[in-house]
Amino acid sequence: MTDEMLPTELLTTMNEQFPCRAPQIRRLAALVGTDETPSPPAIVLHGLEATGKTTILRTFMDSVNASYTAGVTENVGGGDAGRAGDVCALGVRLSGVLSGVERKHFLVLDRVDRTREGSSVLFAALGRLGEMIPILTVIFILSVPKPRLLSSAEPPHIHFAPYTKEESIKILSKYVRRIPFQDIEEYTQKDAKEELYVWQKFCGTVWDSLAKGTARGVVQFRAIVDEMWEPFVKPIAEGEYGTRNYSSLYLLHKDMFRRETNVIDVVVPVGAGEKAVTKIHDLPYYSKFLLCAAYLASYNPARQDAVFFMKNNDFGRKKRRGGTTGSTKRTAKNRKIHRRLLGPQAFPLERLQAIFAAILPHRMSSSADIQTQIATLTSLRLLTKASATDVLEAGAKWRVNAGWDYIRHVARSVKFDIEDFVAE
Amino acid sequence: MESTPPEEVYVDEFDPKEHQGCYIFTLDGEEDRPTKHRKTKGKQRATEKAVVEEEKCPFPVLLDGKETESTIKLRYRTYCKLWEAQEKRTKAILDSFNSKTLDDVSTFVKDATPEKYEGKIPTALVLAGPNIASHELLFEQLAQRIRSQDRTGPVVVLTSKDATNLKTILRKLIRDATQQDEGVDDEEEDIVRKSTKLLNYDLQILQIWCELHKGQKVTVAVQDSEAFDSGILSDLISLFISYLDRIPFVLLIGIATSVEIFHDKLPKSTIRLMRGNKFDVERAEECLAQIFNDSMTSDEAVLRLGASVCDFLLERYRDHTQSIQAFVAALKYAYMSHFYANPLSIILGFIDNTDGLGEVLSTEHVEAIRNVPSFRRYVEGKMAAKEVGEVRKLLTDDNYVRRAIAERIPESRNYGIELGQALTFLEIGRSCTLIQNNAPRYELYSKALSGELQTSPSVREFLMSLKRMNSTTLLNLLEKVMQEIQTPAITEPLRPLQEKIKKLVEEAEASGGKKNLISEFDITNNTLRGTAVSKKVRLGEQKSSLTKQDTEYSALVQQVYTIAESYLTTNFNSSQHGLQNVLLHEVFFYDLRSPHSAVFAPKPRSTIERGLSQPQDYLACSCCTSADGDEVGIRGTQPPASIIYRLYLESGALINIYDLWSAFYSVIAGEEEEFDVPTAQALFYRSLAEMRFLGFVKHTKKKTDHIAKLAWKGI
Repeated sequence: MTDEMLPTELLTTMNEQFPCRAPQIRRLAALVGTDETPSPPAIVLHGLEATGKTTILRTFMDSVNASYTAGVTENVGGGDAGRAGDVCALGVRLSGVLSGVERKHFLVLDRVDRTREGSSVLFAALGRLGEMIPILTVIFILSVPKPRLLSSAEPPHIHFAPYTKEESIKILSKYVRRIPFQDIEEYTQKDAKEELYVWQKFCGTVWDSLAKGTARGVVQFRAIVDEMWEPFVKPIAEGEYGTRNYSSLYLLHKDMFRRETNVIDVVVPVGAGEKAVTKIHDLPYYSKFLLCAAYLASYNPARQDAVFFMKNNDFGRKKRRGGTTGSTKRTAKNRKIHRRLLGPQAFPLERLQAIFAAILPHRMSSSADIQTQIATLTSLRLLTKASATDVLEAGAKWRVNAGWDYIRHVARSVKFDIEDFVAE
Repeated sequence: MESTPPEEVYVDEFDPKEHQGCYIFTLDGEEDRPTKHRKTKGKQRATEKAVVEEEKCPFPVLLDGKETESTIKLRYRTYCKLWEAQEKRTKAILDSFNSKTLDDVSTFVKDATPEKYEGKIPTALVLAGPNIASHELLFEQLAQRIRSQDRTGPVVVLTSKDATNLKTILRKLIRDATQQDEGVDDEEEDIVRKSTKLLNYDLQILQIWCELHKGQKVTVAVQDSEAFDSGILSDLISLFISYLDRIPFVLLIGIATSVEIFHDKLPKSTIRLMRGNKFDVERAEECLAQIFNDSMTSDEAVLRLGASVCDFLLERYRDHTQSIQAFVAALKYAYMSHFYANPLSIILGFIDNTDGLGEVLSTEHVEAIRNVPSFRRYVEGKMAAKEVGEVRKLLTDDNYVRRAIAERIPESRNYGIELGQALTFLEIGRSCTLIQNNAPRYELYSKALSGELQTSPSVREFLMSLKRMNSTTLLNLLEKVMQEIQTPAITEPLRPLQEKIKKLVEEAEASGGKKNLISEFDITNNTLRGTAVSKKVRLGEQKSSLTKQDTEYSALVQQVYTIAESYLTTNFNSSQHGLQNVLLHEVFFYDLRSPHSAVFAPKPRSTIERGLSQPQDYLACSCCTSADGDEVGIRGTQPPASIIYRLYLESGALINIYDLWSAFYSVIAGEEEEFDVPTAQALFYRSLAEMRFLGFVKHTKKKTDHIAKLAWKGI
């Protein structure tokens, strides 16, 4: 593997364009080579999302003028294979097309591991294409390599490692955003230097506070930095702060790094929909109680039901012992995982209805409307069926499909203290 | 050749039903079915024995079978006519209701390009509320709007029913999108030719279609995102993003619960692919209010609902369904059952023009009118007023009754209209004040009918704050009242006052530049104003904080107050102006709660449980109740299923079959020493099978010889 195969200047420009990817580019150059040198029948490029696999390969192929066909195999049935019917047909067609061609040809299969219906045989067959047709090289791009994916002698792999903090910042430094100064006559070299300084500092802060845990992909990282940049440098732009007292600027915006609004992915950006008065669509009264009952049925153990829901001789008074001081001491020794973390348990419908009757503040004779509401909650997927049997089967099991926060909100809206009934 | 004669021999004995898996069993003497009795308001018993089926009139003969055919038909026709009018108005409200959301979403679709949303799929989250029944209508309207009015391209509405797997849903998407416009034939052929080699779920077909139709957007509406399988939905979205540069997709997503739940449902990587805005649908309550006002308190409404039915419907809406469609269905049922069972309902057909009513009312009808409680009260009132001659005529002369009814009909009808106007007035008034809890008209309506409103705090609160109103608010209120209400009883006296107040305000403006006159009853403003006014007014006049105009204004406010008070109290006064005093209110107001609760909220479970645990309620046999009417324990004479059920109730979650059998045998054998064991066993097996069929027990593998108990009583 020497750099001789490739003009040095190309390598330098590529390295400049894609920082921190020098070893990968070198390896790729060695494997692709020139038309005179042979290439292996298959090459595997692997690495997580946003590590530059596709972009680098494409730029590289373009710049060395290699003849290649790229296909994104994310379609149903698997891209080219589906078009040509099956792998055999593809092989025949390719060999037909490539028979008179002198140059090497590369078949790039991007995101091949996300093929929806691909079997291991498909990959193996695709890998063999390169052996069948001497001038063809198949390049697989995938996120995680699996041993024996191609069922052949291991083809060369090139690993695109995820970027580290320093690398990410270095990459982002290529896209320094301007500080929108208000009163600026001309943009000088000094300004650019200052901007770079603030930008790099800022990127480092964002990485440490938010992106490290949530957005390690360089694309996501850039999205967050982009979004937070403008409000962050606003005081500088307005001339209130200098570019060099970064730490005081950070203290000013401390809250920004604590909030997670920029990290959480939403369809509707925050702020766009806020102007309109949010109207709350309410569930019917009894549906809310049914939902609370379903939550209790899912998260409370069935044998404690008597403790929570048995009515005393006094009318309507409920024994509330479960979560209070008495029992905590006893369970403290062999305390296990919190029930809320274990996920919802399945329960029979009868138990839901019994709990429903117990938590209602007043007597209500059950009518068909209650069953309708259970059906509605099911089609809203707040309740889901947990057993494979028919819905009308007496033993059918169900489970709740809503989180604690939502349930607590629902319970509050009907003035029901659900906290008293949840087993610790 | 010889095959025909034997067949003919057997033809009499051959029953084709014997070879069918499932058929309706009819008794031979079906015509002699016992007749059902139906109670009507006039305490007449009407038989529905001979249902007149001519002219598609499904209504029964009432008035003890003496109702003539023409009046039955008239009843049916009146029902059809009135409901048709009502339904038309309701539909218009429903259609216009979503107009704002439709406008917003259609603008969004028109403007949507991926470039505008950072290269992501333009997505509109439509928060449609938990009433699933209305979603279909909404999305239908949306599709219609985008397809035919905006013409931005094809719209495909996907529901969870289509989403069994990705291929099915893609197939539907492509088929619906490419076949929506009646494209030119050669174009179709073009697509077909180009896509022959493609599988029918390949989005390339759609891509080819888009190449042929430049500038068209493909709008994909997901009607019930909650019910969608999240895997399929996210696969679909990731496919859309791969094709977004070739097929301009716009995504509409219907959400019944909340955006947060939608976000929780999909993987983050999928959510990152969408960007857009959210759109709220108007709350269902507002729609309900409009429909209710139209059907109950408006002038056009003919048949109105009484207090108890009204309460039932609103309660059911609030607590159970939140569905406008269910409310409209119940309203229709009220119309139907009113005309179905009340022979006097034909009077409603003559509401605009009483000509011919006299001829239609037969002797039986008149007799029925005499039996109606409100008529009795009317007569008793005449009696108390010592109009004996009148009373005699009413009781004996049929023609006089016919004439009297025809005369009094408009008056009875006006009761509903006036009440509606008074409620409108109250609602407008309350909306202009700062009263926190602004109860809508539909909640006040039933209170007004039952006479509770007269003393209720809602009226008092309104009148109090009316007194304290400043001129701007009051003029605003009066303006609204003049627009909305046509009753002269309130508008006539208020109009001159409105003029006067306007004039006063103008005067005050001209002299002091003060635009807002305040009432002397407004204590809070009084002290505040004191200083503010003093700056404008000369120092000498500081003694009184109120200006001359203010004092005059206060007098006018007092007049307005008096008018409003007397108007409201007369209208809501139950003793003088109550529903009970309205002649024939039974015809104009439908107030039977039981048919509605039986039809719309049946209680199957408690009915079955009662039938099994207290068979005497249904069988009315002498053996099951002791002499003094108390119920007795388990008896051998009761039906076997009932005995099993009683024993079942006493047992635990797992039931030993042998124990159950021995208990059953001892009950059924009673004192008898030698009860036939095989018979008892047959009964036991049959009843147990019945229990299993009803879903009370099932086999269990937890314990041998046991069955599991599945249902508890009283839930």
